[in-house]
Amino acid sequence: MSAPSGTAAAASAPLGFFGGSLRRDLAILLAVMALGALVPALLNRGLIFIAGMVWINAVFGLAFNLLFGLGGVLSFGQAMFFAAGAYAAAVFSQQFGLPFALAWGLAGVVGGLLAGAVGAVALRRNEGVYFAILTLAFAELVHLLISNTALLGRNDGLAGLARPVLSLPGLSLDLREGDRFYYLIVLACGGLIALLRWTVGTPFGRALQALKQDPERAEFLGIPVRLHRWAGFVIAGTLTALAGALVAPWAQIVTPELAHWSNSTNPILYTLLGGSAYFWGPVLGAVLLSAVFYITRTLVGVSDLVTGLLLLSVVLALPGGVLGMLDRWLRRGRSAQDGPR
Amino acid sequence: MLLADIATLLVNSLTWAMATFLVAAGLTLVFGTLHILNFSHGGFFMIGAYAAYSLGNWLTPLLGGPPSVVLYLFGSLVAGVVVALLGLLVDRLVLRRLSGVEDAYVLIATYALLLVCEGATKLVWGLKYQSVMPPPALDGALLLGDAVLPRLSLFIIAAGVLCFVGLEVFLNRTRPGRLVKAIAADPWMARLMGVNVRRVYTATVAIGFALAGLAGGLLLANQTLSPSLASAFVIQAFGVIIVGGMGSISGAFFGAILLGLIDAVGQWLLPGLPGLPFFLAMTAILLLRPEGLMGRRT
Repeated sequence: MSAPSGTAAAASAPLGFFGGSLRRDLAILLAVMALGALVPALLNRGLIFIAGMVWINAVFGLAFNLLFGLGGVLSFGQAMFFAAGAYAAAVFSQQFGLPFALAWGLAGVVGGLLAGAVGAVALRRNEGVYFAILTLAFAELVHLLISNTALLGRNDGLAGLARPVLSLPGLSLDLREGDRFYYLIVLACGGLIALLRWTVGTPFGRALQALKQDPERAEFLGIPVRLHRWAGFVIAGTLTALAGALVAPWAQIVTPELAHWSNSTNPILYTLLGGSAYFWGPVLGAVLLSAVFYITRTLVGVSDLVTGLLLLSVVLALPGGVLGMLDRWLRRGRSAQDGPR
Repeated sequence: MLLADIATLLVNSLTWAMATFLVAAGLTLVFGTLHILNFSHGGFFMIGAYAAYSLGNWLTPLLGGPPSVVLYLFGSLVAGVVVALLGLLVDRLVLRRLSGVEDAYVLIATYALLLVCEGATKLVWGLKYQSVMPPPALDGALLLGDAVLPRLSLFIIAAGVLCFVGLEVFLNRTRPGRLVKAIAADPWMARLMGVNVRRVYTATVAIGFALAGLAGGLLLANQTLSPSLASAFVIQAFGVIIVGGMGSISGAFFGAILLGLIDAVGQWLLPGLPGLPFFLAMTAILLLRPEGLMGRRT
């Protein structure tokens, strides 16, 4: 699975979705994971927690951008899958006593089923802003159901969730101790990111991109447009739920806030800030935005103000996000090297 | 007894409906003309409420005595003017630059504006929840047989109806209003007829924002004041204009009444799930009749 050689897209956007080969992006991923593994040695407890959340949010953002940047579908309700994953992991592991690995997998299934149902209904309206508002309404519905269900702890959520003990044959790994669960997050999120990157390069990923650019022509070429969008929606929902499921043992509490529509806007913020046309955009955006939140955490209101202004300036002045700016800058350097043509 | 229950239910749902309509009116006006679905409308509504609150706090001790209805109305008007001025600023800095930008990015840009509103509100007025008492003349309730009709509810219903009638008269009976309608219908043709479309857009934004500010002032005593006011009301207003038909004032008016009634009946049937009927109605309309009950199919 390698990048298309010599296509215009690859030549003009070295950092784009198809700009790098799968091998290059996996190398980047391994480097980032190695860097991430150093976090516990370098930073304090609070920052390690934030680093874990950044990994989870990076997957949240990447799954959103599979829909938006690659497929051109804007969902304003991704929080419902995130919350579904978190609550499923909490309920399956705490209330039903299932081993964490199984609960995690089931959380993904729950997210996928929810996305399958919502997508089947919502994708009937893909024109204009209707799909965005429809997904927002569905997410609010999920938020409402969660905060009114006794099993899910209503408005208080589920607290006191334990971090798991992984028992493999002949080996028991207690993740309750120290920073061990952080390493599991790095591994799990690394795996999910690799899976996402692989999906982008498959014929399915190419088809998604084709129908973003011109749905009518894609349909004409024999790509079933709505089925592809639906499949993309299900994949994104599943991966979002798998990311959300890691929140339950990491934060040790899940609350209905996870399903609130303001959480749905988080992956949008990461993606636009980092650059929606780039695979790594949401990852960079998640890191940058978490830094903004961390720096402004004691200043009431400033984080909202800064986030809003950043997002506005990206939409109005920097449509490619930070990576878009970097990309242009790199290309300018390259063409200067080649000399004037 | 049962009749009184129904009367109370009716007044409650009409209060909800008119409160939401007051917020939704400006939202649907701006959407109908500029085709921008403005997430930040709720944010400017909230700023209007806080502005009226601060003005009231400042003027009441100066004037002495209990706050009067006139002061309450004056505060709402000032809030409307303040927010209209902010609207002019937003139009110049943001909305004008959004022409030709993809729908998805327009929605995201107005969401960014909502974040700016929320951040600014938290910075200026803090995080505390404030509850505002209505002026004594609007406090208490009228008794109609066994039915309890809170005066503030009747005030809000009257304000909503007046606002609706005023807007309909403006849009259908006056020259500037008809200009707004003409441009909403066909900006290209309006330009050919020598209309300064850009100026009408700016005026529409100012009116839409003024309505948001006015609503903030009028509804000040209707709910607690907090920085989460914006996101709560903007979703309600979205629901109302979707059900009524995006861009239609009368659609928003009747959509609000319909959703208010549906919600009231739902709370009576399903007390455990407040708000569920509202979202079910909203999704059903989006799926079955996306142009809304009174919208035109485009």
